[in-house]
Amino acid sequence: MKNCKILSHTADIRVDVNAKTIEKLFINAASCLFELLTDAKDKPKTVRQVQLEAQSLEDLLVFWLNELISVFYSFQFLPIKYKVKIEDSEGVKVLTAEIKGAGFNPYNNKHMKQEIKAATYHELKIEKNKKGFAAEIIFDA
Amino acid sequence: MGEIKLEKINDYKFRIPKESCPGMRVDGIVYASGKLLPDIKRDKALNQVTNVAYLPGIVNCSLAMPDIHWGYGFPIGGVAATDPENGGVISPGGVGYDINCGVRLLKTNLEIGDIKDKISKIADALYNHVPSGVGSTGEVKVSHAEEKKLLIDGAKWAVSRGLGVKEDLESCEENGAILDADPDSVSERAYERGKAQSGTLGSGNHFLEVQVIEEVFDQKIAEELGIAKGQIAIMIHSGSRGFGYQVCDDSLREMVNCFSKYAISIPDRQLACAPIESPEAKRYIGAMRAAANYAWANRQVLMHLARESFEKVFSKSWQSLGMDLIYDVAHNIAKFEKHFVNGREKMLCVHRKGATRAFGPGNPQLPQKYKTIGQPVIIPGDMGRASYLLIGTKKAEEESFASTCHGAGRVASRHEALKRIDFDQLMNELKTKGIEVRAMSKKTIVEEAPSVYKNIDDVIEVVHEAGLSYKVCKMRPLCVVKG
Repeated sequence: MKNCKILSHTADIRVDVNAKTIEKLFINAASCLFELLTDAKDKPKTVRQVQLEAQSLEDLLVFWLNELISVFYSFQFLPIKYKVKIEDSEGVKVLTAEIKGAGFNPYNNKHMKQEIKAATYHELKIEKNKKGFAAEIIFDA
Repeated sequence: MGEIKLEKINDYKFRIPKESCPGMRVDGIVYASGKLLPDIKRDKALNQVTNVAYLPGIVNCSLAMPDIHWGYGFPIGGVAATDPENGGVISPGGVGYDINCGVRLLKTNLEIGDIKDKISKIADALYNHVPSGVGSTGEVKVSHAEEKKLLIDGAKWAVSRGLGVKEDLESCEENGAILDADPDSVSERAYERGKAQSGTLGSGNHFLEVQVIEEVFDQKIAEELGIAKGQIAIMIHSGSRGFGYQVCDDSLREMVNCFSKYAISIPDRQLACAPIESPEAKRYIGAMRAAANYAWANRQVLMHLARESFEKVFSKSWQSLGMDLIYDVAHNIAKFEKHFVNGREKMLCVHRKGATRAFGPGNPQLPQKYKTIGQPVIIPGDMGRASYLLIGTKKAEEESFASTCHGAGRVASRHEALKRIDFDQLMNELKTKGIEVRAMSKKTIVEEAPSVYKNIDDVIEVVHEAGLSYKVCKMRPLCVVKG
C-alpha cells in the first residue's frame, strides 16, 4: 500500500501512515483504510461534504476515519477522492472535506476484504519529521 | 514506559504494585501461569493493565484474566470496577466496540454416532442458512419503530416473533435483555448502520460450531445441566455488529472531551471516560444497554436459524432433538453489580472487556435452575482444539468481581497469520482432525488458525486452579462456520 505500512499488533490492525503535509496525512490514512476494507475500484459519481472539530489533531484523525467508516457502512458510500482542509480556529482543529465517491454495498460483496469496526485512539500520535508527518493508527478489526 | 515488573503471589496470580507507575490508583492483578507469562509479556497488554488502574474511582485492583492480550484501551481480558459514590467513571474503552459480544451454548440429545456421517451436511446447512461473513446482511428486517422495541426487549423481542421459546430467556444473562436501555440515546447513524445486520453472525473471530463433549470433569454438575460425554452441543459467538460499533464510536467521540471537562488524567485516550452520574455517562449507559440488547436479540435469531438447520438435516423438530439453551453470556459489557470493597457491599460499575461473569452458587441474580450449582460459563477456544464449559464460583465473587476468562486469547496478529500459515495445509490439518470448516473467505480461516491462539487448556488451568471458575466439560469442534 502506498504511503502506508502494516505493523504488527496481536489482535487488531496497526498501520504506519506518512505524508508531506497534514492534509495529505489525513487523505493517505483514509486511502489506507479503504485499501484494507475493499479491493473495489470505481469512478467518483457523487460528492459528500464533511466538517469535523476536535481538541487535537490526533482526535481529529480518529473522528475523520470513523466518520468515513460510518458513512461507508451506513450509507453504502465508497470514498474515492478527497479534498481536505485543516485549520486551527482558536485552539480547535477544524477539518473541512469534500469526498467524491460511489455507491457501494458492503454487504455480501465479494470485493469486501475484511470488516473494520473503528479507528482507535490507542497510542495514536501524529509526529512531524523531516519528510513531513507520520502517524501510527490501530484499527479494531 | 519500561517493562512492567510482576510480583508472584502464587503459581496462578501475580501483582503489578501501584507504585510501578505514578498515577496508578490500585494494584494490577494478573491471573496467569509460568507457561502463559512469556506470551503475556511479549506485547503491551500489561501496560494496559496499569493504564486501567488510573481510572477515577477504580476499586480493589485492575484485573487481567489469563487470556489477556494487547487490545486498545483496556487489554482484552481486562476487568475493572469503579465506585459511583467515589467519583467512579464508566469508560466505553472498557467495553469495546463490539458491545455484548458473547457466547451461547445449546445442548442436543444427539450423540456423536448420530451425526458422524452427517457432519458435512450439517456444515452446509448451517453455512447456507445462517448469514455470516464480512458485512453479511440478515433475513430479519425491522422497521425503525420495531427496532426501538428490539433495543428494549433484546432476546424477548425475537421470542415474541416466534424465534425461540420463553424458556430460552431464563437461560440468558440478564434474561436476554438488560433493563433501562435507552433507544433515545442512540444516534440515527447507529440505527442506520445496524439495520441491515440483525440476525447475522459477522466476521473475524465470530463463529457457529457443532461440538462433541469430549471430557467431563464434574459429573454432578454435568448431570444437573443435562450433558454427558459424547453428546453434541452447539456454540454461537457473535455480538452487536455495526450497531454496537457506532454506539461505542459516538460515545468515545463525546467522552474524549471529558478529559478536560472533568480534569481526568489517564495515559491512553482510548480510556476516555466520564463520571457515572454525568450526562455523558448516562447517555452512554442507555445506548450501551440498547446495543447489548441488540446483541442478545441477534444471538437468539442465530440460535433459531441453527435450530432450523438441524431440523432440515434430521427431519425432526428442534424440540425433539433436545436443542435447549444451556446459557448465554456477555463478555464485552459494563454492568452495575453489588460487590464487596473493604468489607462493605457496594454497587459498582463492573467493566468486562473480554471477560465473563462467573456468579457462584446461591447468587440471587441466577435463574432458579442454576441457583444451587452456580452460573454456567462458556469459554470458546480455537477452531482446531477445544472449548470449555465451566461453572462460576464464590471465590470469583470475592476476588475478581465475579469474573473469569473469555477465550483462548490471541498470540499472533492476523497479518502474521497471513504471512506464515498456508491455507491448504491448515485445511488438511483440520480435516485430519475430523473438523469441517465453512467460511466466506480463505483469509478469515487463516487469520483464525489455531496456532494464532494460546492453548485453551493452559488458560482454563489458570482460572480453575485460581478458583475463578471450575471445569465442567471440554468440547471438541466437529464443524465450524466462520464469518
